[in-house]
Amino acid sequence: MLKYAAKRLIQSLVTLVIIITIVFSLLRLMPVEGYFQNFDKLDKNQIHAALLSMGLLDPLPVQLKNFFVQLLHGSLGNSLIYRPNVPVLDIIADKAPVSIFMGLASMAIALLLGLPLGTAMARSKAKFWDKFGTAFIVFVTAVPAAVYYLLIQVYFTDWLGLPILFSESDPVSWILPTVSLSLGNIAYYAMWLRRYMVDELNKDYIRLARAKGVDSKTIMKKHVFRNAFVPMVQYLPTSLLYTIAGSIYIESLYSVPGMGGLLVNVIQRQDNNMVQALVLIYSAIGIVGLLFGDILMNLMDPRISFEKKGGAR
Amino acid sequence: MKRFLSILLCAAMLLGTLAGCGKKSTDSADSFRKLYSSEFTTMNYLTTGTQAEQAVAANCVDGLIEYDKYGVAQPGLAEKWETSADKLTWTFHLRKGVKWVDYKGKEVAEVKAQDFVDAAKYLLDSANKSETANIFYSVVKNAEDYYNKKITDFSQVGVKAVDDYTLTYTLNKPTPYFLSMLVYVCFLPANGDFLKQKGAGFGTDNTSLLYNGAYILSTFEPQISHVFTKNNAYWDKDKVYINKITETYNKEMNTLGPEMYKRGEIDKTFISSDILDDWLKNADTKNLVSPSRSQCYSYFFCLNFDPKFDAKYEPDNWKKAVNNESFRLSLLCGLDRVKALSVSEPINPKSQLLNTVTPPDLVDLNGTDYTNIGDLKAITARDSYQADKAKQYAEKAKAELKAAGATFPVKILMPYNPSTANWDKECQVIEQQLENTLGKDYIDIVPEAGPSTGFLSAVRRSGKYAVMKCNFGPDYADPQTFADPFQPNDANGEGGGSYNKPEKVQGYTESNGEKTYSTLLKAAEAQSTDLSARYNAFAKAEAFLINHAFVIPYGLNTDGYQVTKRNEFDYQYAPFGVSILRYKGQHLLAKPMSMDEYYAAEKKWKAERAEALAKAKS
Amino acid sequence: MALRHKKTAAVEESINESFKNLPDDELFTFAGFDEAAAEKTGYSDYSYWRSTFQVFLKDRVAVSLLILIGIILLFAFLQPHLPGQRSATQIYNDASGMQIRNLPPNAEFWFGTNSIGQDLWSRVWSGTRTSLLIGFAVALSEAVLGILMGVLWGYIRRLDRLFTEIYNVLDNIPQTIILILFSYIMRPSVSTLIIAMCLTGWLDMARFIRNQILIIRDRDYNLASRCLGTPSRRIILRNLLPYLVSVIMLRMALAIPAAIGNEVFLTYIGLGLPVSIPSLGNLINEGRVLMTSAALRYQLFFPAIALSVVTISFYIIGNAFADASDPKNHI
Repeated sequence: MLKYAAKRLIQSLVTLVIIITIVFSLLRLMPVEGYFQNFDKLDKNQIHAALLSMGLLDPLPVQLKNFFVQLLHGSLGNSLIYRPNVPVLDIIADKAPVSIFMGLASMAIALLLGLPLGTAMARSKAKFWDKFGTAFIVFVTAVPAAVYYLLIQVYFTDWLGLPILFSESDPVSWILPTVSLSLGNIAYYAMWLRRYMVDELNKDYIRLARAKGVDSKTIMKKHVFRNAFVPMVQYLPTSLLYTIAGSIYIESLYSVPGMGGLLVNVIQRQDNNMVQALVLIYSAIGIVGLLFGDILMNLMDPRISFEKKGGAR
Repeated sequence: MKRFLSILLCAAMLLGTLAGCGKKSTDSADSFRKLYSSEFTTMNYLTTGTQAEQAVAANCVDGLIEYDKYGVAQPGLAEKWETSADKLTWTFHLRKGVKWVDYKGKEVAEVKAQDFVDAAKYLLDSANKSETANIFYSVVKNAEDYYNKKITDFSQVGVKAVDDYTLTYTLNKPTPYFLSMLVYVCFLPANGDFLKQKGAGFGTDNTSLLYNGAYILSTFEPQISHVFTKNNAYWDKDKVYINKITETYNKEMNTLGPEMYKRGEIDKTFISSDILDDWLKNADTKNLVSPSRSQCYSYFFCLNFDPKFDAKYEPDNWKKAVNNESFRLSLLCGLDRVKALSVSEPINPKSQLLNTVTPPDLVDLNGTDYTNIGDLKAITARDSYQADKAKQYAEKAKAELKAAGATFPVKILMPYNPSTANWDKECQVIEQQLENTLGKDYIDIVPEAGPSTGFLSAVRRSGKYAVMKCNFGPDYADPQTFADPFQPNDANGEGGGSYNKPEKVQGYTESNGEKTYSTLLKAAEAQSTDLSARYNAFAKAEAFLINHAFVIPYGLNTDGYQVTKRNEFDYQYAPFGVSILRYKGQHLLAKPMSMDEYYAAEKKWKAERAEALAKAKS
Repeated sequence: MALRHKKTAAVEESINESFKNLPDDELFTFAGFDEAAAEKTGYSDYSYWRSTFQVFLKDRVAVSLLILIGIILLFAFLQPHLPGQRSATQIYNDASGMQIRNLPPNAEFWFGTNSIGQDLWSRVWSGTRTSLLIGFAVALSEAVLGILMGVLWGYIRRLDRLFTEIYNVLDNIPQTIILILFSYIMRPSVSTLIIAMCLTGWLDMARFIRNQILIIRDRDYNLASRCLGTPSRRIILRNLLPYLVSVIMLRMALAIPAAIGNEVFLTYIGLGLPVSIPSLGNLINEGRVLMTSAALRYQLFFPAIALSVVTISFYIIGNAFADASDPKNHI
């Protein structure tokens, strides 16, 4: 497994280079107007000067070379438009912690509530918990997030006397955004855990275990839950690492100064350096997440293997 | 399992009740709280061309002059000024003892004439990508050549510090409106040593700025808040009445603002046209809402004389149609502008109507507004919408165009930017209104969504429209600025406006081979000393565009309705530049104005303004 | 004993009798392998899909929702052709010639009108039509591409590395860039949106299938099959996919609402459809601002209800079908 992981990590470097090259080239196809906030008020001289200083007039291969040389020197460059002349890493370092803390908290809530809910639903098929859980999941998946987040914000702040906007130093202002953020994940975990557990419960070995007289708690814990959790485990590292990306809805509604929507924002403003840096960071995270997911899956269920064994194709 | 869940539930509820005690309220008569939805990218006032970002400089950095609330120039950092006999050199005598302070209010240096020269040098360095440099180099001698690196010696540029307190500007040509340009950010000073020390980092946050104005930006937390506090070292601090301005970031400002105002968390919010009816119906809120003041900004429909759109929208057929005066006039008279305006201004759409391309309150002749001068007077007084006349023109156009070989219905491509609020709805209203008035067999309006990124270059600049709503804001206080969009190209096909290329029209040619409109413009521009002759000549040129329906004037621009404790009529007024963003001299209202109070205040302001302007001229 | 002997004798006799009728050269030939006869030994009238449907049909709620979705679909596409229906983009004016703005639901306009006097009833239906079209198109491409790619990625070891890298590359190119470029080149429209969403939509499905396949690929019965030399295609089609039908069904059912939800999101960040093409996304986005004003809230509720009905139906149908497709539930 270690060898496999190491190989894949090295390969990932190549992938990263490919990703960044593609994104880099795509960005150069963007309309020139997008680089300017006040395109209409500028004359030809100014547009030329600005494009020149952003290095956009060089041929693509030259631009690409410059970028990689800079990257090898360990620099992601300065922001161009989002906050001109501020180092990209400073901007990210300012914003990432809030998103990470809020993301981790909501993830913890989601796991703590979602997994038990899913288990309870699977165990009591067609009884109270199943119905309750289904109602909850249906609500969360059916009502668009943009709507129920706003609903929660407007009415719950009034009802509970909480502040409308987020403030980092005020712990109570964390409650609603974090809880809202976890709702979707609670539903997601509960729904899939229930699905996998129900599938697992129907298997023959469970019947055998029952027939043998193993008590249902042990069956649930040792067999059903563990087997059902395997396919879900794959997503944990990625979703954990993606908390860094934040949530655009929550962060816009509550004014959380996090990373939510940062990528979308800098793409729309065509701040190339920011986009490249963020894509680089996110894809590194994504790739590592996928790898960790595979490793975790292998640890949970040793039957799953990635290395070549005799007889496999 | 169940026990676990119920414990968690209890914990959550407990937290909720605890939170109830955390409610705070801060309210003070001399502080102002508002929301903002778009963060500054930079506060470098020498480079940014975005109005919201210039608000920092407007309140924190003083320039040579300022305006009072009626738009009469007042001394600022310059105590007095004079022009040379040839009107090319302007000399300013600076106020002594004005200090630069840092973001904590600590004194750093004195404001000297050299600060204006250093700022200009920074502005004209093309590597700094200043978005306002063109306004500076359009008037100051040799500045454009320095920007384009045709000359490298900065001492040749027409801005000089004669001594610490005397500053001169030398201009390209006599410019009657030069004084009005001085309130714009590109003419503001900056301390040279500080500029050098900060380098590229100048203006990236509140610590990398120096302040000599009414306020200091004491807190700048991106996407959290800005706090402006009164500058105690300010030379004119007795005229600063609001002590603290807190701006809080929220991307969903239009959705949450009204609710936050009701809960007393902010002092100003916009009321979008969607919820306006609701606020006006409610007894508690109906007296709080008032319109926001219209800016000196203009919307008008351009008829494109150089169509380059897709063959499926029949550009050649459009070309035939647009060159027919009766056809153009049928559109001018057929467009019910009030109806179209009611999309974004449902309560009082008529107040938004604009009959000329130039909006009112730009310039005046001894108290008479430019829109009431010469040929424009008749146009300002009438409403172009006359359905009967439109139908007559349409009949005439049909006959004439059929003879010319055009096919009916004429397809009219009308693009809009889907990311501009209400524009799409407005296009739908116009499409149905015009087609119903003039007949579906006569015109077929095709609204099309353009790209939301790069809209202008993809649509307007590249000529991919037949009729489109365009907008323009002044670059200086002179009628010439509103002729810029229609300016014909020179012999190299350059330097002209990028709007609808009226020089490509067929006919309207003078005996010397020039187009009529070009001739009129040239005559107007030549008048640089006699203001009355100049304004009348520009009015004649603009009237030509409108009377021959090259352009259909449309409306003004406002931010819609709002609830605010800020008095809309006691801030500094200027048609152009950043004066209207200043809080200096403003008092807060105890309670927001109602509609009636607003219109009364507006009427009073207009009367007082005409008086003040007439007095200032004499 | 005597009886047995008697019986054997009788059989022997009858065999001998039949042999007598055969020509000599057929007495000692190999019997041919009759496939049909061989299958007959394992014959039962069990049909997987029939049983699946039988179980599914027992779920009253799911069946009625399926009928409801059918009706909605049918009506959504028939609605503009029915008599007495208004156009979704037509603006209605009152007697004085001004638009009928923000009229609450009444007998004339069943769902009321919006801020420029368009009929919300037709707009909701037209929006449902657009959104379902987007949903189905995206879900279909997701299913076809996603399952195909996912199976290859998961089952064939040699392809694992390559596919992982392709996935990594495609997954990390932001959808926003693609959408902006597409709408710049092709102008915002339904097809632009569908293409951009399809380009990246199938990735998640592929990864999901791949993980499922990884989990069961090396289970003993598959190893056994492989040892017996069963071709990969047969293992995939007969051993792996049937196993996954239940989860695939659930995912497919969720893919349609997910695509609609994605459209709502794209509208939120300003890259969705223009208002002149009604969709549930832009109707809801327009209505969101109105949530705080009680009198106008209906403009949010109607499209939100339409979206919820579609989503809930697909969710419940998907779950019921997934339950039904598990053979363990067939007995």
